[in-house]
Amino acid sequence: MSLFYWTVAGTGAGLVIVGLWGVLSRKNILRIALAFTLADTGVNLLLVWSGFLPGRTTPIIDGTVTASEAAASVVDPLPQALVLTSIVIGVAVAALFVVVAVLASRRLGTADVRRMKELRW
Amino acid sequence: MIRTVSVLAILLVLGALAAAVVPHLGMPRELAGVGREYARDGMEVTGSANLVTAVIVAYRGLDTLGEVVVLFCASTSVVLILTLFPLGVRPSPPSRIVEHTARVLPAPILLFAFYFIAHSHLSPGGGFPGGTVMASAFLLVMLGSTSVPGRSGSLPAIEALAGISFGLLGFWGVLTAGQFLNNRVLGTGTPGQLVSAGLIPLISIAIGAKVASEFSGVFAAFRKTGGME
Repeated sequence: MSLFYWTVAGTGAGLVIVGLWGVLSRKNILRIALAFTLADTGVNLLLVWSGFLPGRTTPIIDGTVTASEAAASVVDPLPQALVLTSIVIGVAVAALFVVVAVLASRRLGTADVRRMKELRW
Repeated sequence: MIRTVSVLAILLVLGALAAAVVPHLGMPRELAGVGREYARDGMEVTGSANLVTAVIVAYRGLDTLGEVVVLFCASTSVVLILTLFPLGVRPSPPSRIVEHTARVLPAPILLFAFYFIAHSHLSPGGGFPGGTVMASAFLLVMLGSTSVPGRSGSLPAIEALAGISFGLLGFWGVLTAGQFLNNRVLGTGTPGQLVSAGLIPLISIAIGAKVASEFSGVFAAFRKTGGME
């Protein structure tokens, strides 16, 4: 269980690192958008991971979890609720990112951020 | 070269910061703080068997309303930008596989989406995932045809209606219980039943309709401008 716990954390952290690396080092603006969503996914995974407790089940009260022992048998519901918000906002931001990226590359005739001179100051 | 080195330096600093935090984390064994309170009293207070939904819609309903507003702004911006600056690319015809899948799959996808939304207080699901699944059925229908969606008045109408009803359900609480988005203006019923948990199912339906119409509008805007190919 401990291995699983740290594997999930490592995967989340790895996705964040890979995403940040992509945002900082890629040249094609659509690849940057893709890397951005990777980092986003990693952050979401880390948030869910932060609410995990070993040996516990989903925060839904049904036949296997009774209301009286819920606090001792379910994982933290709060990070999961936060992540739901985070995922939806992430999708909206990614859509906006892609639209602006496609428009910019159309207008400037290139998808290479190094050649988008209009964005420099 | 300078670029690569600086990128690596930034990542190394971030990695070192994360590594410095990790030894202090350990593995928690007990719920702490507000999460413990939600797990202990969530079903009693909201009537929702799904504690995550209880947090999203009842405890932090105001934040969810704010999230819906953020989503509205983002989707409106996307549609606005694509309408003002069309890319002018015609959609290419779908492959045979997509064409046939688009005839069969939308119905079960829609059914699943309705289940997701209607059972948000009982099982994993809710307005946001349900609405997204519903919009994916719309996307599949659109990808399976060569026609370009025309001007639709119904999508914005559904979106506006859903948003307004979310707000009105909130004000119902102000009138009868003295609190915006009070979940107990309707009885909480027996937790675990389909009709229970106060306002939660109604708000889930409103969120689901809003998210589905917003994402469908975004997909349609991409399709009209040809940005999806």
